[in-house]
Amino acid sequence: MALLEVKNLEKDFKEVKAVDDISFKVQKGEIFGLLGPNGAGKSTTISIISTLLKPTKGDIKYKGESIVKNSKLIQPKLGVVPQEIALYPELSGYENLKFWGHAYNIRGKKLKKRIEDVSEIIGVKERLKDKISKYSGGMKRRINIGAALLHEPELLIMDEPTVGIDPQSRNHILETVNKLNEKGTTVIYTSHYMEEVEAICTRINIMDKGKIIASGTKDELIEIINGNKKINLKFDKVSQSLIKDLESIEYISKLDVSENEIIISSNNGENIFKDITEVVTASDSSLISIDINKPNLEAVFLHLTGRALRD
Amino acid sequence: MKVRDVVYKDLKLIFSDKKALVIMILMPIILSSILSMALSGSFTDYSIKKSIDIAIVKEYDKNKELKKFKNNLSNGIFSKNMSNEDINNMTTKVKDFNIENIFFNEFLDNKEIKEIINYKVLKRSDAINKLKNKELTAIVILPKDFIFDMHTNILTPFRNKVDIKVIGDPDESIKSKIVESVMKGFSQQISTLVIGKNVFIETALNEGIGYEVFNDIETIISDMTSNIKSNNINLDYEKINGKKSISSFSYYAVAMATMFILFAAGYGSRTLLEEKENITYQRMVISGTRKFKILAGKYFTIFTLALIQIITMVIFSSILLKANWGSFPLVMLISLCVVFAIAGLGILIAVITYKIGNYKVANVFESAIIQVMALLGGSFIPVEVMPEFIQKLGSFTINGLALKSYIKVMMGYGINEIFSSLLTLLIIGVIFIIISVTLLKREERWKYVKYNKVKTYETA
Ligand SMILES: Nc1ncnc2c1ncn2[C@@H]1O[C@H](COP(=O)(O)OP(=O)(O)OP(=O)(O)O)[C@@H](O)[C@H]1O
Ligand SMILES: [Mg+2]
Repeated sequence: MALLEVKNLEKDFKEVKAVDDISFKVQKGEIFGLLGPNGAGKSTTISIISTLLKPTKGDIKYKGESIVKNSKLIQPKLGVVPQEIALYPELSGYENLKFWGHAYNIRGKKLKKRIEDVSEIIGVKERLKDKISKYSGGMKRRINIGAALLHEPELLIMDEPTVGIDPQSRNHILETVNKLNEKGTTVIYTSHYMEEVEAICTRINIMDKGKIIASGTKDELIEIINGNKKINLKFDKVSQSLIKDLESIEYISKLDVSENEIIISSNNGENIFKDITEVVTASDSSLISIDINKPNLEAVFLHLTGRALRD
Repeated sequence: MKVRDVVYKDLKLIFSDKKALVIMILMPIILSSILSMALSGSFTDYSIKKSIDIAIVKEYDKNKELKKFKNNLSNGIFSKNMSNEDINNMTTKVKDFNIENIFFNEFLDNKEIKEIINYKVLKRSDAINKLKNKELTAIVILPKDFIFDMHTNILTPFRNKVDIKVIGDPDESIKSKIVESVMKGFSQQISTLVIGKNVFIETALNEGIGYEVFNDIETIISDMTSNIKSNNINLDYEKINGKKSISSFSYYAVAMATMFILFAAGYGSRTLLEEKENITYQRMVISGTRKFKILAGKYFTIFTLALIQIITMVIFSSILLKANWGSFPLVMLISLCVVFAIAGLGILIAVITYKIGNYKVANVFESAIIQVMALLGGSFIPVEVMPEFIQKLGSFTINGLALKSYIKVMMGYGINEIFSSLLTLLIIGVIFIIISVTLLKREERWKYVKYNKVKTYETA
């Protein structure tokens, strides 16, 4: 049984259909990615899973039982890192963690120990006495995450936890997610940075305009556009015979030729490099550079929607 | 999450907010010192000078008793050794002597007495009913033979005992006591005269002056009336008044305390929407905290904060301004009742602010409504000097009710005198709580926002 099952979920706001009939499953132990541009419906989906919003239609099951009907089933097991910093700026990091520990009814010695452990994990130990309002963006994000970890949730949902922070903090957060996952926490990770999702997620849903437009492992998703590999060749000069020879190679779908550059599009690419090298060596044009555009999720998204993931 | 976790966290936030502390704790202390010093001159004897309504019951029969007295006079019961001339002389005096006139017109209608006591002459049963319905504070019973005995006492050498009875409303013990002592004052005045007269007559008889002394009875009577009008009775009245008078320091300590707890309500009323904008409200809901627990947290935050304000003020004013707050248990009782109501008001504004999604209501409350309530409730000047309808309005404000109760306790009144104010406070509190909870409950359709700070509506 899947840990979490989202079934035909819909959410309407006044004029907007924020979530439009999506279904997916999250298995225990995975890092599940939710990738999509601004306004795709990621946060809305997460709000419904975290029982903050009621769906217009559809159901969500946690360990097989509907949490739409009974939110108490998931609440104690769930850790949510909101997209915004949801903390008290005028309290110290320590006081904030203490309060959120109380929110999950952890108290006394146990809470003290948990705050120690968590601040170790998120790397804020030295700054705990300071007010949140004095923290850098990255530090705030870390406490924001820490507040969701105190009760050792089975399922951790992180909504764009790395927005607007320095690369160092970002790497730290990604490492933290991996560490938590290794210890058995299931993670739903939302982002519009495809690099992040690529780097840590075992399975990925790509959302756009309230719908899931693709899902699978990273490799499966890339497979969708594998045929659309792009190879960029630069020559000192481009001769007609070279073009002719290239056109005769199997699997090449398109050649864009300019003064001294040829861009090859291919729809299947296992042996295409061999063929290309043969043709090029045989020709009288000498090759200056070769650049292969490796497909990534960005490209997948572009391929599927015709739009870039970020503007 | 427990309610006290929210309270604890909110209080920590308040105590880290210097500006809020200055407004809520320091300002009332400073203001009460300034106001009481500035106004102490014009403020020597503040007291609740409300008139006391009493009924006079006449159990005597004037005509019958007068006749009886005259009969006794002519039968010689009083006048064994008197010459006819003397008797005639005396009978004319009797016509002039009118104890009813002295009691009602000279005594009860005396200006100073009138200021505190309103009387009506009623039948005994009517009076008792009115007393039960709290329309009266006390009943004064002029007993059977009052006229006869009074005439005897004043006009003859004999002395009959006259018992003027006062039946008071037990819930209005202080006021009944005032009536009692006023009546006592009257009786004492009379008996002084009677004793004086008897001594005078006896001396005259011993000296063999005979009954011509009765020619002077006129003087005695007029002495009596003028005496009644002056000192002795007034003295008694002032003694009671003196016990009740309180200093301007005490008054303004109470006035500022009851006004500034309104700011605790104002402060608390912002925190619900603040939590929502901070996403901490949503975070609490996600953790499984019911929103009514959050609301209860806000309630007790305001409750505690207002209580801290009052206690600070009591301690400060007692030590430095030498204010005397009166009975400690009663002060605590009033304080608990008033913060109960204040916290209700606070969460009501909090829920409205939360639902509207901006701070306009809270702002209007803090910048205008508090001032109006303070004025109506007597925090700036005692309500007694204001028009009656304003006094009426003021007696519906939380601060007004509290102020009135504290002042009464300062004056030495007991629980009975403040009971109805306290009950009103509790009722106000309960009503506010019910409205707040109902309003928040109806939120289901009007769901909280998503994480982003966008205020939106949901189609249900
Ligand atoms: N409470 C709401 N009321 C009305 N519209 C809403 C509400 N919440 C979200 N929306 C709309 O629903 C759509 C999906 O929003 P959502 O926040 O779920 O997107 P997202 O994928 O999280 O985007 P982002 O990357 O910007 O966080 C958007 O068009 C948004 O404007
Ligand atoms: Mg979002």
